[in-house]
Amino acid sequence: MQSLIEQTVANIGEVVLGKELEVRRALCCLLSGGHLLLEDLPGMGKTTLAHALAHSLGLSFGRVQFTSDLLPSDILGLSVFDRERSDFEFQAGPIFNQLLLADEINRATPRTQSALLEAMAEAQVSIDGQTRPLPNPFFVIATQNPIHQSGTYALPESQLDRFLMRLSIGYPSAEAERRLLVRGDQSGLAQLPISMNAQQLVEIRGSVNAVALSDSLIAYVQRLTAFTRDAPEFAMGLSPRGMLALVACARTWALMAGRDYVVPDDVQAVIESVVAHRLVPSADYSGDGAALVALMQRSVDVIPE
Amino acid sequence: MTSSLLPRQALWWLIGSQLYVALPHFSRVPLWILAVYAGAALWRLQMYRHRADMPHKLVRLMLGLGLGGSVIVSYQTFVGLDPMVALLLVASALKGVESVRVKDGYVLVSLGLFIMTTQFLYDQQLPTMLYGVIGTLLLVISLIAINQRPGASLGRRECFLALRMLGLAMPMMVVLFVLFPRIDPLWSVPSKTQQGTTGMSDVLRPGDVTRLGRSSEVAFRVQFDGSIPPNRELYWRGMVLNQFDNRAWRTLEWKDHPAIERQLERPTLEGDSLHYHVIMEPSMQNWLYALPYAESDSRGVFETWDFRLAVAKPLESTFSYKVVSQQPTALQPVLSQWRRETELAFPPGLNPRTRAWVAEQLAAVEGVDDFILRVLRYFREQPFFYTLEPPAISDDDFVDQFIFNSRRGFCEHYAYSFVVIMRMAGIPSRIVGGYQGGEVNDVNNTLVVRQFDAHAWTEIWLENRGWVRVDPTAAVSPARIELGLESALAEEERFLTDSLLSAYRFRNVSIINWLRLRYDAAAWRWQSFIVGFDSGEQINLLKLWFGEIKVGWFVAALLGSWIAILGPLTWWMTRSRRSSDRLPTEKAFAALCRILARRGIDRQIGETPLHFLTRVEAQLAANDPLVIELEKLAVRLYAPVSGSIE
Repeated sequence: MQSLIEQTVANIGEVVLGKELEVRRALCCLLSGGHLLLEDLPGMGKTTLAHALAHSLGLSFGRVQFTSDLLPSDILGLSVFDRERSDFEFQAGPIFNQLLLADEINRATPRTQSALLEAMAEAQVSIDGQTRPLPNPFFVIATQNPIHQSGTYALPESQLDRFLMRLSIGYPSAEAERRLLVRGDQSGLAQLPISMNAQQLVEIRGSVNAVALSDSLIAYVQRLTAFTRDAPEFAMGLSPRGMLALVACARTWALMAGRDYVVPDDVQAVIESVVAHRLVPSADYSGDGAALVALMQRSVDVIPE
Repeated sequence: MTSSLLPRQALWWLIGSQLYVALPHFSRVPLWILAVYAGAALWRLQMYRHRADMPHKLVRLMLGLGLGGSVIVSYQTFVGLDPMVALLLVASALKGVESVRVKDGYVLVSLGLFIMTTQFLYDQQLPTMLYGVIGTLLLVISLIAINQRPGASLGRRECFLALRMLGLAMPMMVVLFVLFPRIDPLWSVPSKTQQGTTGMSDVLRPGDVTRLGRSSEVAFRVQFDGSIPPNRELYWRGMVLNQFDNRAWRTLEWKDHPAIERQLERPTLEGDSLHYHVIMEPSMQNWLYALPYAESDSRGVFETWDFRLAVAKPLESTFSYKVVSQQPTALQPVLSQWRRETELAFPPGLNPRTRAWVAEQLAAVEGVDDFILRVLRYFREQPFFYTLEPPAISDDDFVDQFIFNSRRGFCEHYAYSFVVIMRMAGIPSRIVGGYQGGEVNDVNNTLVVRQFDAHAWTEIWLENRGWVRVDPTAAVSPARIELGLESALAEEERFLTDSLLSAYRFRNVSIINWLRLRYDAAAWRWQSFIVGFDSGEQINLLKLWFGEIKVGWFVAALLGSWIAILGPLTWWMTRSRRSSDRLPTEKAFAALCRILARRGIDRQIGETPLHFLTRVEAQLAANDPLVIELEKLAVRLYAPVSGSIE
């Protein structure tokens, strides 16, 4: 099982160069059954990463470019009248793919955004009074641009919470960039092999639940959570859902590392991606979510003195 | 659980209350300590804003040692009240920088309370007490702020809570005040420097009393058992100046006397006796003020050969004593040869004009009394002026200059001249320094004597009558003696013009005067009942309550019962705090970390066991038992049974 995961990471690494940690985290997010928010500047490889993930996990893929005039039906689909059969026929929207890439999600109006976010939460959509289940597995990878915010609708905190992880990719290293230049136009996506099928993916997700949590680790996570609620730098502490998300990702990370129990290193590997977008700094604190996570990590001891 | 972080709003209260308690000390410590305080507060605020990090442990250690050393260097010593206070201030400033956790907050509050207390070593007056109460309140509010939920606001409710807590502590405070053994200090409290104390000294030069005339500071307070005598009879004798030397009058000390002159003489007394209670402000001198002829049975007070009251050590804090004064029939009716010579001595070559004038007068009079009246009449009839701004006379022949030329002087000028004239005429005489008059406070029938009441007069010795008081100032300015200094200087309009904000200056404004007199009455109560409650009073009170008991037994029983109650309580509280719900593996790991820390490998906060293990492995041999143990523990902490899958 671990070799399967390592193979997948290596394959995607052939396309998204020099970003092994980010690839691992993104994979961890999907293997934990969560949705992923990619936040970075244009041209950093967000779409490439989403494509590569979909392809190597053998998932059906749909993409929606969000704009301000995008309507919910553009994502969900709509019933069209068929004159020959004198009946309405449902034309499924891109959401009925196993992996949906929602590009620049913050450009759409709140109404369209919530249609997507609702579907993400419920794993089903209701159209024309009829409930239609979404495929299993079902993932959303949304991207957004952190700057040039004019004409956008920022996702409110409550909706950010629907994403299990928020990742930013960042500039590649000099070495990776050199290989990128040598490779030229060919993205390598076309040659990317399929690493696992949907069945295997579901199996892996099942075995995550078998990863053990020791009392020490639970106490550590509780101390981390308590810190976000007590320390004055936080306007809002971590919710129980956020805490559960942290543990879920740490479990997957442990599994990816080939362990059947979670160690604090697993928590620390995923904490920034899982927690940073759920935290709100207090008004007189100058740092952002990432700084808050750093503060948590250097203030809360793994084993109390 | 590790101690949680200080809530942000608590920081403001902590810094504020620290500054508040340190403020009165700033006038006493070197300026650089103020800079340390400001620097520390700034640094802490930058940390609060996350613009700066806490200095490294090593830097903090160096700062602590360095600043401690600077205190020693700038005071040249380590012992003494001032350097100790400076050290405390530096410590609290530095502690402020590293205070991030709740437990640091407790340390800071305790330090603050301690600094607040040191304030009373310098001054025990009513305003200091009020300042201390407000400081304690601020510190209690800080304590509440420390224990608040982060982000909670600190409002009126919390302030009331602090007030209530202080109120609840009051009975305990009263019990401790009454019962706590007043043990004499195990070490002598190092003497404060004499800077800035005003009052009479044992050397008198023309101009010394004049300077005191500008100060409205309280010298002492008196409460009479009966009615207060009229102003003109209130001559508070403090010291006697017998010896003229190098342009100044000096007190003869005990060691200057031949052995036979050292014994006391008790005069026969007549008339009604006056009973009164005096509370003196710290004077840094060892004599007390009283009306002649005075006797006192207060602890530590003794009488001197020149009929004054004194204590063994200079008064560094307020001192209270009871006096009985009664008119003597004759004070020292027989004068010994040695004393006569001493009280007549004056350098022969000085003041030739005066000497000639005295000889001229002596030739014209019949008897001593006539001569004295003549001299006084001279003072009254010639154009002499009583003034706070006499011209400076730097001449060796001071009396010549004064009585023939300038003729403008304050009491000591007149006393000086008068004694010189008397001695030239062969009449034993001496200058007496002290205070004259005082302000009557009708609120509680007390008399407040201030520095501007300082006065110098003379005593001359007459056959059969002994020492008789003669005040030449009364001849020049009767108003000074009858009504006080202000009336005497009414024309000059120079009275207290230097002390702009003194409440005494504004006593013509009725509301201020009303408040001032009541404040003085409260201050009297404070000084006599609280500050004056010493071990003697305590023992008397305990005897009143519990009958005849051995003091030693009482103290032992008291301390024993406290230890018996508080000891187990403290143990239980610290024990219950220490034993948290930690797992055995976590305890073992923490113990191992302590061992490794002693070997110089510290685990960082938030560092995982596995990460720590790689660091330890890099520093110790792979087969080191510590490494093996750590390896085992790192797994045992988190693994359910063993190993890994695959």
